[in-house]
Amino acid sequence: MTTTTSSPTSTSASTPVDAPGPQTPSVIDPVLMAVLSSRLDTIVREMENTLLRAGRSAILALARDFSCAIVTADNRLLSSAEGLPVHVIGTEFITEAMTRLHPDLREGDAYLHNDPYDGNTHAADHTILVPVFVAGRHVFTVAAKAHQADAGNSRPTTFMPFVKDVYEEGSLIFTAVKAQSQGKDVDDVIRMCRSRIRVPEQWYGDYLAMVGSARTGERRLHELCERYGVDVVQRFVEEYFDYSERRMAHVISELPAGRFSGSGTHDGFSVVPDGIPINVTINIDSDQGVVDLDLRDNIDCIDLGLNESRTCSINNVMTGFLNSISPDVPHNAGSFRRVRVHLRENCVVGVPRFPHSCSVATTNVGERLVVTTQRVMADALEGYGQAEGACGIGPAFAVISGVQDEEAYINQVFMGSQGGPAGPEHDGWLTYGNAVTNGLMFRDSVEIDEQKFPMRVQEIRISTDSEGSGRRRGAPGSRVVYGPRSGEMEALYISDGAQFPPRGTRGGGSGRAASAAVIGTDGISRPMETIGAVVLSAGELLVHELSGGGGYGPAHLREPERVRHDVEEGYISVERAEEVYAVIVHRDPTGQVQLDLDATARRRA
Amino acid sequence: MSSNQQTPYLQEPFRIAVDTGGTFTDVVLADRVGTIALGKALTTPQRAFEGIGAGLSRLAEEHHLTLAEALAGADTFIYGTTRSTNAVVEKTTATTALFTTAGLPDVLVLKEGGKPHPFRQMHYPDPYIPRRLTWEIDERIDVDGSVFRPLQESSVRHAIQQARQAGCQAIAVCLIWSVVNPAHELAIERLIREEWPEVAYTLSHQVNPVVREYRRASSAALDASLKPLMQEHLTTLAHDLTEKGFGGHLLVASSYGGTWPVQDMVQRPIYSIGSGPSLAPVAARSYAQAEAVSAASAALGSGGSADAWTTASDLLVCDTGGTTFDVGIVSAGHIAYTGETWLGGRWIGAITGTRAVDVTSIGSGGGSIVWLDSGGLLRVGPRSAGSEPGPASYGRGGTQPTITDACVVLGYLDPDSFLGGRMKLDEAAARDAFAAHIAPALNMMVEQAAWAALVVAVEDLVGAVRTKTVSQGLDPRDMLIVAGGGASGLTIGRIAEELGTPRVLIPRVAGALSACGGIHSDIVCEFSVPGFAHTDDFNHEIVNGWLWDARSQGQQFLDSLKNLPIESSDLTFSVETRYRLQAWELEVPLTTTDFSTPGAVEELQRAFDVVHDRMFSVSEPGQRLECLVWKCRATARLPKPSIDAGPRPDTAEPARTRPAFFASHRHDDVAHHDGTTLPLGAQVKGPAVVREPTTTIVVYPGQSLTVTTSGNYLLQTGK
Repeated sequence: MTTTTSSPTSTSASTPVDAPGPQTPSVIDPVLMAVLSSRLDTIVREMENTLLRAGRSAILALARDFSCAIVTADNRLLSSAEGLPVHVIGTEFITEAMTRLHPDLREGDAYLHNDPYDGNTHAADHTILVPVFVAGRHVFTVAAKAHQADAGNSRPTTFMPFVKDVYEEGSLIFTAVKAQSQGKDVDDVIRMCRSRIRVPEQWYGDYLAMVGSARTGERRLHELCERYGVDVVQRFVEEYFDYSERRMAHVISELPAGRFSGSGTHDGFSVVPDGIPINVTINIDSDQGVVDLDLRDNIDCIDLGLNESRTCSINNVMTGFLNSISPDVPHNAGSFRRVRVHLRENCVVGVPRFPHSCSVATTNVGERLVVTTQRVMADALEGYGQAEGACGIGPAFAVISGVQDEEAYINQVFMGSQGGPAGPEHDGWLTYGNAVTNGLMFRDSVEIDEQKFPMRVQEIRISTDSEGSGRRRGAPGSRVVYGPRSGEMEALYISDGAQFPPRGTRGGGSGRAASAAVIGTDGISRPMETIGAVVLSAGELLVHELSGGGGYGPAHLREPERVRHDVEEGYISVERAEEVYAVIVHRDPTGQVQLDLDATARRRA
Repeated sequence: MSSNQQTPYLQEPFRIAVDTGGTFTDVVLADRVGTIALGKALTTPQRAFEGIGAGLSRLAEEHHLTLAEALAGADTFIYGTTRSTNAVVEKTTATTALFTTAGLPDVLVLKEGGKPHPFRQMHYPDPYIPRRLTWEIDERIDVDGSVFRPLQESSVRHAIQQARQAGCQAIAVCLIWSVVNPAHELAIERLIREEWPEVAYTLSHQVNPVVREYRRASSAALDASLKPLMQEHLTTLAHDLTEKGFGGHLLVASSYGGTWPVQDMVQRPIYSIGSGPSLAPVAARSYAQAEAVSAASAALGSGGSADAWTTASDLLVCDTGGTTFDVGIVSAGHIAYTGETWLGGRWIGAITGTRAVDVTSIGSGGGSIVWLDSGGLLRVGPRSAGSEPGPASYGRGGTQPTITDACVVLGYLDPDSFLGGRMKLDEAAARDAFAAHIAPALNMMVEQAAWAALVVAVEDLVGAVRTKTVSQGLDPRDMLIVAGGGASGLTIGRIAEELGTPRVLIPRVAGALSACGGIHSDIVCEFSVPGFAHTDDFNHEIVNGWLWDARSQGQQFLDSLKNLPIESSDLTFSVETRYRLQAWELEVPLTTTDFSTPGAVEELQRAFDVVHDRMFSVSEPGQRLECLVWKCRATARLPKPSIDAGPRPDTAEPARTRPAFFASHRHDDVAHHDGTTLPLGAQVKGPAVVREPTTTIVVYPGQSLTVTTSGNYLLQTGK
């Protein structure tokens, strides 16, 4: 993709555009291209597998909050298999920092990078970069990125919303720092991390997993270049980018042309009581096969940790767009030539001005950016885009910490399910998690969480009538209740969707609003701020009602049989079926739900 | 497989093994001195014995026996079946209720999260048991086994009554932490027996005592839902066999890659899921070991040393049926297991949650459609022409080119002798399909396009195989491929070459590899005792107690087999363990069950570091371990037939020749051999095609195929 950070009217800056079409002369035959592209994806999957299985912290290995990618030596994203969208797009900016700062790269080096002002997503995402050399020449860089359980912040959480700047955030920042030389740890760096990151063995375990993953990728790329010859592989790379560009151009050429704008809002709190507005403008040029995504019409950076890093601004608006088109287009520097993102400096969804904090860049405002973008597409174009999905990392996704048996623990839990957005043909995905991970992440096992942390999970239940209604409905939200079994437990969380619940599109309804509460030992429930921190004592319970996703199209066009099934399964009530969907159903004594087609026809007439 | 006058007489006692798939039933009749006969019949899902009887009658007749004589002379009958797998996938199991801990009813709905693709929208799958048939039981046990909320019996009685009213035929019970304290699940059992004695039920801590409530709940749900069906199915088969004269032992193949007495399978039918395919690695191991033994003795006779390939201890087992390409692994003689068997798709289907032989379907078969995407890239599958209309060359109206069509165009499949000549292939239609859809856009000849399709199809499989082996810490280049299944021989030479695997063993029974695994299988069962311990503060007495518990369960199982012709038996132990705070466990074999022995804990730590390093390229010596589950595996060995070369001619008959294409070269005279006419030790140099009654092997240029001293085929890629 091309990104511009200058003044408006900069869209003509990129290279001339060819007309889309399948025929372009090739040097690499299409068979070899299919073989090599598949082989690159295999290598990335192998890296992912290593990271997943060897990872130490729950957030990495249980929730799958990690990604791997292969980038060319000149910093173009080449392959990312099916990684988390928010992690992968923009890996090239991280490798760019490495090549710029280390003109003397050597085989056997590994670099640790987490600098959100120089290409990274946010400080909690540590990335290990390994330059891959073939015959003494730097050919590729492999990257393994994983969200850490702790990043050395001033508070025990990897998400710091209430901070004025990066100093208050307190995270250790590494800008392409050499972590290994000749395949051996540079102990200075390891020591720094071990002395300043909570539960250091956990960090070191995840560091080892990332190194193992990157070295695996390095080995496999060596083998690939031996098998086919480095020249052939490099020629392939160029042609694969061209091929990917043709695919994207083709997809865009089939979209209706036009210029569409829309906005969304993150819930308000502290210095932004009315919320954080987000504006997205999309320009589709079908004739040229190019899309422009413009975020320049947005507010300046704010004195909170919710600013987007440059990489997150790009990858989240891209995710919203990619959610709206065919999933089969390869995602790499080639196809991204056809998607141009326009950012400005010192913007909440743009390029952050140092030292504004980007601690929470990967979720909250980032999620809003995804769902706003896909809803702009849906609002403008029937049959495209998606509604808004549930956002935020509320209490069911809190970072919990405390002391158990004289040992400190800290980790993010993933217990709830919040509603995925409806699309033109599909109801929302129930275990959506959030917009930046698009359902890929795993959910914790209650038993594993209780075994690792002194907690008790009392309730995880899908909430009836919490879906955004529609011809295709959003997924329902859920209710999650938990607390410490013994001792004190601190939970830090940043909900969204309490003030601005996920909206539907094209006549679809909004999802249920999120809320948080604490039930005291007296059994009385007290509402909580949706963004905050709470210290719970044994017997106290934290409650999170998670929002549902927005619906697509009018509810009265939903097929009655789908409504009947939703009632039978308890996703919606008999009353809501009648009032919102205009479908009349009856529950019989065995619990089955019968459709009254005649009454429904009358109701819908 | 060969004419009547040549077929040998079998010597009692016989062993019969059957593998019933969805369409075909493979039947194997063997004796202990090495005669083995294969047969095929159509599967009869209503009553399994009809198909089995038909296949077995023909096989018996060919070997001068009646069906009754074959059955009466058999001491064991091993039955592998896809019945339970298909019932789960087709949703024809019993209507089942789920009882869960109050507050956590959605365990089967929410599963463990995950989605196969970030940008592809999909319908969220329905849970295996619907929410309306889920009841919450008022109780709660904590992680340490203490009772946080006592069981309210009234909530159980209410649930039972409601389930009955809703028309349920089975009940699955899965409560939080029942693996640590089963009291509440056992109390529910008592109440079910009181209130509704005839209903089938499964308690999660009994069927699969693992930590992770989704997996255990899914095990209980699948098991309970299968009980009515499989009890009927297996009891009927046992009855039919007895009626036709069988007086031996009926053993049912289990997902452990061994067998169980039928009465054990009736109790826990979830272990019959995937039981057929799980026997392919068993057969592969037996054939590879037999080759090693015969090569070693030949080497001894000649004063030389055994060829290195026979000592390759890691096997990559590729079993290609009509519609799937299944892969399994045998490492250092041990069959690889997995805790992640999903029916209906990873993350979106239902997990069995039980440990099972790791056989994964990684690709589709010959019906995969060849196409060009909008960027002009050649793609194969995942869409398949299936059997209707099927590949273009089937002449049933298919017009899209498939991999089978590619093999026809390239001259590997002889249109006149496909399926032993029973089905004539339409070569012109295959060529037309490539000419119409593929060749012009790629600016290629039809044969080049067909070859390209084969290359892409092979690459997709190679990628999946590589991902699979590497995730086990194994390099496919150091392994021996054992290929089975009717369709594997067409592409396995190319797959091996691309993987860098130098050798492929193709048993002459390749067409019925799983059923042959039954003949070579043992009785195997595992017993698990969950118990949390870490190595910094290791309580030897408590851990020894858990291991003793596992041992007694294993011993009790072995004792229950007293009536069977067991040759030897043993108990082996392992533990599922991880580094402190790590998310996933690895299984490590235990060399002792007495942790009061000095150095025992250190030995466990060392063993874990080694396994971790092999799997993930890193380890952290000195980091403390968290141990989760203590396991005992009971193995009872049954007498097995020797693997014998069988009848072979002394000299080869001359081969027919046909033209064939490899890469961009046309070879005018490619030999097509009838495999049964090749003598022992014969070597066929590629390019060539060797036809066996149940499979066709393509020997690619530069490769060679040897008939081994045991009468199997060894394909060497020359790399």
